[in-house]
Amino acid sequence: MNCNEAAGLLPAYGDGALDPMQSAAVEQHLLACTDCAGRYDEQVALGVRIKRDAPYFPAPPAMRSRIDAVVAGTRKPARSPPARARWRWLGAGAFAGSMATVLAWLIGSAVLDWRDGTDLAGEAVASHVRATLSNHLTDVATSDRHTVKPWLSARLDYSPPVQDLSSEGFALAGGRVDYLDRHAVATLVYRYRDHVVDVFVRPVAASAAGSPSPSVSTVRGFNVVRTSGAGMDWLAVSDASADVLTAFVSRLARGDAAP
Amino acid sequence: MEFQLLDGPARSRCAELVLPHLNSAYNLARWLSRNDADAEDIVQDAFERALRYASGLQGTHAKAWFLTIVRHACYDWIGRNRPSELMRGDGTEAIEAAVDSRPTPEETAIAEADAQALVRAIAALPVGFREVLLLREQEDMSYRDIARIVDIPIGTVMSRLARARGLLRRSPLLHAVVPPSMRTVGK
Repeated sequence: MNCNEAAGLLPAYGDGALDPMQSAAVEQHLLACTDCAGRYDEQVALGVRIKRDAPYFPAPPAMRSRIDAVVAGTRKPARSPPARARWRWLGAGAFAGSMATVLAWLIGSAVLDWRDGTDLAGEAVASHVRATLSNHLTDVATSDRHTVKPWLSARLDYSPPVQDLSSEGFALAGGRVDYLDRHAVATLVYRYRDHVVDVFVRPVAASAAGSPSPSVSTVRGFNVVRTSGAGMDWLAVSDASADVLTAFVSRLARGDAAP
Repeated sequence: MEFQLLDGPARSRCAELVLPHLNSAYNLARWLSRNDADAEDIVQDAFERALRYASGLQGTHAKAWFLTIVRHACYDWIGRNRPSELMRGDGTEAIEAAVDSRPTPEETAIAEADAQALVRAIAALPVGFREVLLLREQEDMSYRDIARIVDIPIGTVMSRLARARGLLRRSPLLHAVVPPSMRTVGK
């Protein structure tokens, strides 16, 4: 293989799109030719840079709820009017609109504290069910916390503590980025016997602070335990028993002595 | 394509197969439209189309199938809103046009501008190159799946990817920031 032939195949080689024979031939050439090896390194570096620096835009929660409405068959809240139409509406109904906004805001802020706990638990359970149903529990599937943590940190503006508590029966299965309370949130996935446990972790400052003593609730048969600790707000969802779940979350929130 | 009202089970089966790929759909729409609100509308539009076309979904290739629809919705949107983007030649004009808006040298001296420069450089790639690059680098899709989604032969996927990477590497937007010593690796 000469340099011309190799240069033509390098992209496909890097993308794993060559058959084994071609792939071996390119590899042979790269060992022998420093010019082509340099070109290949450049190509790899560009790919690494894109993966590292180009943001990945996950589906925003507002869009998810619009799509959930489509699934449910309620077309009404579907598409909001296009921007230009919205401006016309604003011009026509500015006064009524702003009065309604003020009213909604007043009512909204009054019930916000009350809503926070129940809505959050409901959202968390919905997310847990969706992940289980679609069989997409993890974006990164590994029991190695040293892989899960950097994977999550790279996709969030915080770095959640990740512990493997398999010695206590909770085996780390991986992680995913999910949505809760209109924010991207780290989700750690554990397995406890036959149960899947989703643990949502977010910085305390980013939310209405949870209480340090665990609060337990039940939503559609799933147990939801919320607590705070180690600077994080922890919320676990599972069909495992409330006692087991509470002990587990408290252990995570203590955050000490990671094995 | 036949339009029909689907019964509940077919709708929900389709939704179930497609919903796990909502992030990929939004990411593609966001990169192709370069705008949050429009990307949301595009994905919703695509999702509604997906439910209508549910009979075409075999189940094994839900991601590629859904992204094909998302891409079509993106192109429809671009055609309506930025038709000039679809009529570019070799793609260098777009990049040169975007160079004018690049930051001053002082601004680019900041280390984190490095990442922003990459984003700007990718965003300035013509849409036909941008899509293959992102499907490959961010979604890790095979040439075969990219060929399905973009509806081009596998050989064209390969050459477009090579061209996209070449354009990106040589993009003035990128070079305005990266010191030469950082540009090559492994020599």
